[in-house]
Amino acid sequence: MLWLQFFWLRGQQFFYQRRLEQSRHGNLLLDCWHKSFNPFNKNSFIDCNDAEFLVADLEMSSLDANEGEILSIGWVIIKQGKIELSSGEHHLFKTKKSVGQSATIHNLRDCELDQGRNMMFVVERFLQLAAGKVLVFHHSPLDMAYLNKASQELFSSPMLLPIVDTMEIEKKRLLRTQDHIKPGELRLAECRSRYNLPAYPAHNALMDSLSAAELLLAQLDHKGKKVPLTDVLQLF
Amino acid sequence: MSPELLAIHDFISECLPFDQLPNDVITQVLSDIEVSYHSKGNQFGQQDLEGGLRIVRSGAAELRSSDDLLLDRLSEGDSFNLMGLNDEQPGITATLIEDALLYTLPEIPYQKLRSEYRAFDRFFSSQRSRRLRRAARYEPAPNDMMRPISDLMSTELLSVEPLTSIQKTAMLMSSSRFSSILVMENQQLLGIVTDRDIRSRAVAEGMDLQQPINTIMTTDPLTLAPDLSMFDATLFMTQRSIHHIPIMDNGKVVGIITASDLMLARKDDPVFLVQHIGRQTSTLELKNVVASMPDLLVQWVKSGVRSNQLSHVLTALSDAITVRLIELAIEKLGPAPVPFAWLGFGSQGRKEQLLGADQDNALLISDDLKPEHQAWFADLAKFVCDGLNTCGYVYCPGNIMATNDDLRLPLKEWLKTVERWMRTPTERAVMEVSIFFDIRTIYGDKTLTNTLQTQMLKHTQSNSIFLAALAENVLSVHPPMGIFRRFVVEQNGEHAHELNLKKRGVIPIIDIVRIHALANGLFEVNTIDRLRALVDCKAMTIVDSRNIQDALQLLMQLRLNHQAQDIVQGKAPSNYINPASLSKIVSKQLKDTFGIVKDAQQGIKTKYRQGLG
Repeated sequence: MLWLQFFWLRGQQFFYQRRLEQSRHGNLLLDCWHKSFNPFNKNSFIDCNDAEFLVADLEMSSLDANEGEILSIGWVIIKQGKIELSSGEHHLFKTKKSVGQSATIHNLRDCELDQGRNMMFVVERFLQLAAGKVLVFHHSPLDMAYLNKASQELFSSPMLLPIVDTMEIEKKRLLRTQDHIKPGELRLAECRSRYNLPAYPAHNALMDSLSAAELLLAQLDHKGKKVPLTDVLQLF
Repeated sequence: MSPELLAIHDFISECLPFDQLPNDVITQVLSDIEVSYHSKGNQFGQQDLEGGLRIVRSGAAELRSSDDLLLDRLSEGDSFNLMGLNDEQPGITATLIEDALLYTLPEIPYQKLRSEYRAFDRFFSSQRSRRLRRAARYEPAPNDMMRPISDLMSTELLSVEPLTSIQKTAMLMSSSRFSSILVMENQQLLGIVTDRDIRSRAVAEGMDLQQPINTIMTTDPLTLAPDLSMFDATLFMTQRSIHHIPIMDNGKVVGIITASDLMLARKDDPVFLVQHIGRQTSTLELKNVVASMPDLLVQWVKSGVRSNQLSHVLTALSDAITVRLIELAIEKLGPAPVPFAWLGFGSQGRKEQLLGADQDNALLISDDLKPEHQAWFADLAKFVCDGLNTCGYVYCPGNIMATNDDLRLPLKEWLKTVERWMRTPTERAVMEVSIFFDIRTIYGDKTLTNTLQTQMLKHTQSNSIFLAALAENVLSVHPPMGIFRRFVVEQNGEHAHELNLKKRGVIPIIDIVRIHALANGLFEVNTIDRLRALVDCKAMTIVDSRNIQDALQLLMQLRLNHQAQDIVQGKAPSNYINPASLSKIVSKQLKDTFGIVKDAQQGIKTKYRQGLG
């Protein structure tokens, strides 16, 4: 199954490779692809404790990637089972449209976002860090939809990177002891409380990425001493 | 460092001794911090010395010395540096007692802070001595049996000269309430005489009691050194069946230890705890003894004591406290003017108490009661109920207490009260009086209680309207099962998505069994005893009886485990559980249990509400 998924991913990467080579900063994404999980490389079969993770979270102006924009992104890095707080970064984006009503959720106002960075700068930084690391999100489909959209605009290619989704891990775990998931049970704060993690203020991208990173550490710790990376990795 | 991590900044700046540091330094600290997660049971020992300062962000940890003595218990906001601790006393380890999120400040920045900020440094340099003081204050050594006997021996010595008469010695012993006496001359120990020696060597032999004591003493008694452990002393004494041993230090007698001293020191053993309660001389002392009960409960649950044994023990403890309070009151108020019985109702009556029970009690007084005696009993009731409240058995919210004038009555008034209940058995009234049928004498004249109980049962057996009203009450609580056998949980409030085991499971079973017991005139009040007796008098089949016993025990066990968990987590013990947190097998058992309750309710309906709808 893993192999099949890998070939599908490789196939897509192969399809977009030409476009990246032509794009100005495409080598950044190419570098990520080369360093990402590869079953032909023995070094890819490591335990999670030895893997490095880039845990990210995005705040956006809408839940629909077709109409919304990314407002901010935050991330932290996990190395050797530890989160280094100094690795935490938070970037605001210059938006094209007003954030409108969504400001009530993420507390980002237009005036702050006016001083935000342009997309290329942040994605460049993000990809530099992502090379050789595994991307982690809580509920990846939403964040990935936005990242793929950004990537399409910049490099004419989706991200096509393996990821870990803490929500998926939690869902699998819950379904082992219960028949169905109740509404709200997979929310980040709700998941964290099951592992005795403290309550953090939500809806700030950096704080949320730290929350997700801690959740991942807790989930891996509860899975056992040595968890192979392939146990949690999703190739698409 | 991003301002977005304000929540973590705020947390760190409130932790001791980081509160001593300026704001911008904390910002710097933040960028050095590493976050890690460790599950319960994880231990930091000698190999983790260089880990820096670990701050507990959530969860809890314990610090123990190399001989497993608990030095400190750490919770949110506390921190520890193993290297520093081990410099002062090697072998200290930290164990997580709950899943924990740790913020770690690595060794180098930590040492830098210590060298730069004196207040910060001082906090850690004086840490251990303070910890030890705290440890001594709140927790006895985990293994009491390894304590030296010098901690325990009584240093108050009673001695006589060898030529004192046997009778005089005996008088001295009884007046000072000692069971043994040392025979000494010029500070030299010659021998020891115990109660038993006087009985078997003097009185039983028909000796002249004016003979000197040295004729019956045990000469050159065995002695022990004060630094011997309790364990060795106990072994020494039991192997030789000796009950009194003088303790000698450098050729001088420094104390004496008895077998019962050694037993009493085993504080975690319920039997001895009960004895210990009997030796306290004030309400406050009693309160101190009771304060250790939650910790003991956790210990007992962990060591596998079953729920019914445990509730039995907890009831025995609250009985002992009540009895001791009554004794203390009598010491203060003088002897009782007429005989009386102190009654326990409800869970205490049924011997089914867990932690957090409130008081349900009353006074039953002999019919010889004169109006001028009323004050004595009122004072007694006030002293005991206040004392119980101090000890953690809170006042009954329904005012079912001896301090209530309507519940401090002579026998004939009690009988009249019972008759009044029987005459107008409305459902509401019946619910209020039902706990009075779980009645037990805690202290005093059992014959009074017996008369009252006989009268109660005579009424209930023949009064089908009363039983029907009781049955209606039982049927009004539905087991929390929806269609398709799903749990019905609380919808909102503090306990949303949770299930009240007591209200929905335990109480209905107790009520059901009570009706059967009352209808058959059984004197038993404990629910399990009642169920057994119902089989004996052929009022219930063995299968039904065992099913209900199992159901009750499962519910009580769940409730108990859950309460123990609450205590460990520092919460007040509650009766709520979240069904989603149960394993599949327990959840299935729980469903079966509620099924049994439902069947039993059906039985009540057909038996006692036939034709009443």
